[in-house]
Amino acid sequence: MKIRRLVAALIATGSIVALTGCGADPDAPVVDTQADKGLEVMGDAVIYDPNHLVNDGQPITVEYWTWGNASTDPIYSMIDEYEAIHPNVRIDVTVVAWDDYWTKLPLSVKGNRNAPVLFNVHNSYDALIRPHMEPYDIDLGDLEADYSFVDTHVDENGDVKYIDSVINTGAIFYNKTLWAEAGLSDADIPTTWDELIAVAQKLTKVEGNTMVQAGFNINGSYSAIWQGLNYQKGTLMFQDDGTTANYDCETTKENLEFLQSLYDEYGIGSVKFGDDRDLSFGNGQSAMIYEWGSYVGTLATNYPDIDYGVFPTPTFDDDVPFAYDRYNGESTPGINTHQSDEQKAVAQDFIRFILANDDYIRLASQVLNSLPAKISLQDDADILANPMLAAIAPRLDRLIWPGPTPSTLETSPLIAFENVLQNGQDIDAAVAYSQQLIETDMEDSAFTSMEDRYAHYDEHN
Amino acid sequence: MSDATSGATRAVRPGGPDRGPQAARGEGARRILGRIFTMRNIAVTVLVVYFAVFMAYPIFSAFAGSLHKWNPLVDQYDWVGLDNFVSVLTDGLFWKALWNTAVFSFFSILFRVVIGLGLALLLSSKLVKCKDTLRGLFYMPTITPLVAVSFVWMWMFDPQFGMIDKITGLDISWLNDSKWAMPAIIIMTVWKDFGYATVLYLAGIMALPTDVYEAAQIDGANGWQTFRSITLPLLKPTTLLIVITSLISYLQAYVQILVMTEGGPGTDTYTISYLIYDQAFEKYNFGTASAMSVILFVLTGILTILMFRASGDNTEA
Repeated sequence: MKIRRLVAALIATGSIVALTGCGADPDAPVVDTQADKGLEVMGDAVIYDPNHLVNDGQPITVEYWTWGNASTDPIYSMIDEYEAIHPNVRIDVTVVAWDDYWTKLPLSVKGNRNAPVLFNVHNSYDALIRPHMEPYDIDLGDLEADYSFVDTHVDENGDVKYIDSVINTGAIFYNKTLWAEAGLSDADIPTTWDELIAVAQKLTKVEGNTMVQAGFNINGSYSAIWQGLNYQKGTLMFQDDGTTANYDCETTKENLEFLQSLYDEYGIGSVKFGDDRDLSFGNGQSAMIYEWGSYVGTLATNYPDIDYGVFPTPTFDDDVPFAYDRYNGESTPGINTHQSDEQKAVAQDFIRFILANDDYIRLASQVLNSLPAKISLQDDADILANPMLAAIAPRLDRLIWPGPTPSTLETSPLIAFENVLQNGQDIDAAVAYSQQLIETDMEDSAFTSMEDRYAHYDEHN
Repeated sequence: MSDATSGATRAVRPGGPDRGPQAARGEGARRILGRIFTMRNIAVTVLVVYFAVFMAYPIFSAFAGSLHKWNPLVDQYDWVGLDNFVSVLTDGLFWKALWNTAVFSFFSILFRVVIGLGLALLLSSKLVKCKDTLRGLFYMPTITPLVAVSFVWMWMFDPQFGMIDKITGLDISWLNDSKWAMPAIIIMTVWKDFGYATVLYLAGIMALPTDVYEAAQIDGANGWQTFRSITLPLLKPTTLLIVITSLISYLQAYVQILVMTEGGPGTDTYTISYLIYDQAFEKYNFGTASAMSVILFVLTGILTILMFRASGDNTEA
């Protein structure tokens, strides 16, 4: 009787194991004994020779944290490539939602509890994670030879903990169908703000007292566009000390007045179009909006039927401005400094692999709709076939990065915009209030502006 | 059966009548353990541990945190005494958020009670058929996740494609107009929550004594007089329950604000809880956020006590 029960239990357990797939993991890392795989050495200055053993060929599993998925984070594909070369390494990906990421990651890495060795980085959260990051084990000269803007990521110890893989900035997206309906062609693409106003007026439709189509919708974009407009006039985001925000200044007020005039004087848009310009453009209710490169992905996913084009953000006159706009880089992954030496060695090898590998930058450029920071790919015809990238590429030299600015530099000016355009507040009062919010929020911030590293810094007001 | 055999049998049976001193000690220990590990003690212990870990500890942490400059993400925990309270109480945005919270709570509770009571009276009358179906329909929004409801209403309020303006023929930019943003959030909140009040009032109405109504009928009281002098006073415990639970809930409202307006336009829909969220999870000022939480905690406590007292006084009168 007992034997029969035992046999039955064994069969049941075996069946459950078989059904739930609890057998051997086919993706488990295996011992690698073949150092020389006959593969080509990658890279120009940063070199990666795949013909070596990682972790002495012994199986090892490392973890990578990201907020993105395979269609937005190029690291997924690079992991596949890397694991194919080094079968003894397995890199597990853990996805953490953006809203939780910047709480969970610093806490996890700080205490090294269930912490990854590799993680996705966004430079706006630099201050939270930099203390827990391992410097890249790559010669600084090699990095600078291969990549633009590396100098902005060198810290006071001369260490680099991440760099830009690709960079992006704002541009004007326009709906080609609405453009054609208004009798406009590519010859009408504006280069100055005055020209944009004239074009937008032709694209604006009003029925009775209600605007049904906005020529140019700026709702929600002020958090980014104010920086670009100020830079166009040569005004920095930070005062000379590099730490005090320079929001409450004459240039900001002039530009806010200009933006207000787009709606109140020229009537090319309305606050009644909601605060989501992306949605409005996607629904064909706004003919032009200011957006950054990631919007290309949003359009492809959510509004595949929209026929759109992209042109560079206009300037106030035909002269070359101090800077056309600010840029921001998508960061390469960080390495957890608290992890074991074996884990960190694998992570360092992986970082060298991706930085030497053009596939990574091409893919990042494609999925993030951004220009390569890798110098050898900045004139690449395939990459510049993307209209967004073709629009911003000629301006690369005149884009400025203020550094990993705290988010209050975006959220507080947006409050000023809403107070002026939606609540009818006086511009001086609204700007002063937002300056006060920024200063309160930055009271304990260790942030220092990177504006002085801009190549044309001396030209500022 | 020989003695030897029976002795052997006794020897292998634990707990038998001829137990030695060791077995007696084991029995005693088991009895003591049995007294300690009763179902009642286990249940009480679980509740105490639950309360200590998930309620007392976070509350204590917030109190302690309010006296510190606190950012756990960078290991900052520096004693600042009452500085956080001073900065909060001298911050204009805090007072604006407090006022917004008061307005939001007052009107949300008012409409929740009025609509809840009105529908409960209707459902308990003979005027309405399909009562069970209607009761289920009214209660449905209550069990729908607030985040989902907030998103749906945000789209409904959209001036370009939202159904509210289309149905009513209005041209209001609900969530982007300082005059309408807060009313829009209140409308959504009341829509989501009135079903709960309806169900509670319905239960209260069902439990009302019929003899009082019969006496009123004999005395010639009309419908309004009956409602004002009998139904409403007898439903006071239910009303009190709804008002107090609503007050506690609405003073902490932030999900709908976060989803629908993010405090805008400008700062016109900032509530205290949204400000706490903003300070803690956007700006990582956990000390300031804790000080605000302590103030909100005290405020909620005072209001609740005041309401209980007012209600008690009226009952006695």
